[in-house]
Amino acid sequence: MNRSFSFPERITAICGNNGTGKTNLLDAIHYLSFTKSYFTRMDALNVRQGKSGFRLEGVFEVNGQPEKTCCVLRENGKKEFSVNETLYEKFSSHIGRYPCVIIAPDDISMITNGSEERRRFLDSLLSQLDPGYLQHLISYIKIQQQRNSLLKSFADTHQQNFELLEVIDHQLVREGTPLFEKRKEFLVSFLPVVKQLYNNISQQYEDITLVYDSELLQDAFGSILAANRQKDLWSQRTTSGIHKDDIDIRFAGQPFRTIASQGQRKSLLFALKLAEMEVLRDKKGFPPLLLLDDVFEKLDEERISNLLYRVCIENKGQVFITDTNKDRLCKHLEMVNTTYQCIDI
Amino acid sequence: MQFSSALLENAVNEFAKLPGIGKKTALRLVLHLLKQDTAEVSNFSEVIAKMRSEIRFCQRCFNVADADICSICSNSMRKQEIICVVENIRDVIAIESTQQFNGTYHVLGGIISPLDGVGPDQLNIESLILRVQKEKTEELIFALNPNIQGDTTIYYIQKKIQPLGIRVTTIARGIAFGGELEYTDELTLGRSLQNRMPVENYVSNR
Ligand SMILES: [Zn+2]
Repeated sequence: MNRSFSFPERITAICGNNGTGKTNLLDAIHYLSFTKSYFTRMDALNVRQGKSGFRLEGVFEVNGQPEKTCCVLRENGKKEFSVNETLYEKFSSHIGRYPCVIIAPDDISMITNGSEERRRFLDSLLSQLDPGYLQHLISYIKIQQQRNSLLKSFADTHQQNFELLEVIDHQLVREGTPLFEKRKEFLVSFLPVVKQLYNNISQQYEDITLVYDSELLQDAFGSILAANRQKDLWSQRTTSGIHKDDIDIRFAGQPFRTIASQGQRKSLLFALKLAEMEVLRDKKGFPPLLLLDDVFEKLDEERISNLLYRVCIENKGQVFITDTNKDRLCKHLEMVNTTYQCIDI
Repeated sequence: MQFSSALLENAVNEFAKLPGIGKKTALRLVLHLLKQDTAEVSNFSEVIAKMRSEIRFCQRCFNVADADICSICSNSMRKQEIICVVENIRDVIAIESTQQFNGTYHVLGGIISPLDGVGPDQLNIESLILRVQKEKTEELIFALNPNIQGDTTIYYIQKKIQPLGIRVTTIARGIAFGGELEYTDELTLGRSLQNRMPVENYVSNR
């Protein structure tokens, strides 16, 4: 089944019942921006049932020039990604070409769950800003896997080659330290923006603090690894490093996720994503694409209007919004007085 | 595929075991052999059987050899005090094809990758360290693929031989060519062999 869409207006509303493919359309845009789905890590899960692959094409306009971007998943599971018929050797070089911010219902786990989701957010943002960041990150993950395998093999074989462990530690430090430096430098300016946006959205001053939390703030990475060696040997994995970093969020001194209300959590999520949008816009010189997946559920009328005003009027970029409730979405879009296209799926 | 001869079927099945050969190609090759003289096909199979049973690995560098020592190691015109460290025999062939290298080799038989269950003990690393100590080697040139496991292997061996004070270099990697050593064109590979740099520089430049 082939479908194609065009988006003549800056604001696109995508309406339809659950299961009709609204989110698929958003994810298709995400796919072409990030070479992968936002919702699943396995490409095969994006294949239509009974088919053996897929082809996804999109025309993006960058600085007035159209670019034909194409992603193909072949029968053998091999993925190809190209812009203007030129295939990428490394998909990672595509990241950041079409800056893009997505907000989806499950993103609230970034506020309510453990640190992994917050690192994922941070890594996605920094990778779009700085291609070098993504290269270091990919290397870091590979070295970390090698190190964990080595630690396991120490336990399995009862032979401990510490010279090899030192070599791998050295490699891990070489990739991890610049990642730490970049996170630290970036968050110094980013977190105050988040805080300010949060207060704007909630329309009152709230005592919220956001702080970068990393073991590397206390000591050099190499020393930390050395100090934790026994612990690592015992647990057969790498227990310290930038893969444990977090953004510590507090509300009146208490962990935010435990005491914040549902509305406050949502406000903070929007603040983080809108801050991401601002940073990308400032760095790239044009606003990123904004994908809003079903975000109005359980929001009061005032918050919906407030949010739509920010993303449709203050923000000058292209916006895609899905909603099951067409009347609600169209009513609010008319309230903020913007022109838009409505696609019924 | 239906065969009316078991002999034919067996032959096709054997060919189809080769990498990159499907059943159809296997059938084409077998039918081709069928058109040849019996003597010619006997020669063909003898050459292959002989290759497998008589080939040896050089006791010094682990390259393929027709005797205990390979033809590169036993060539007195080559600089015996320079050793190029490679992952496998295909790399030796690739570098030899450039005609830009006049030293000897050491074939590791792989690279260090704990994730794939390959540690230093599974590779010809101990023999390299002994060889370097014994032979008064002047320079070790690493020609390994530019990836994390390649780096691990270089640093590990370097760490092991550091006390000996030997010059350790690596061919320019990553920038000059991105792919695997064996796919790199001869000109680029030859050039990066000549423009090799000390491992210490390579480390700090990345
Ligand atoms: Zn030899």
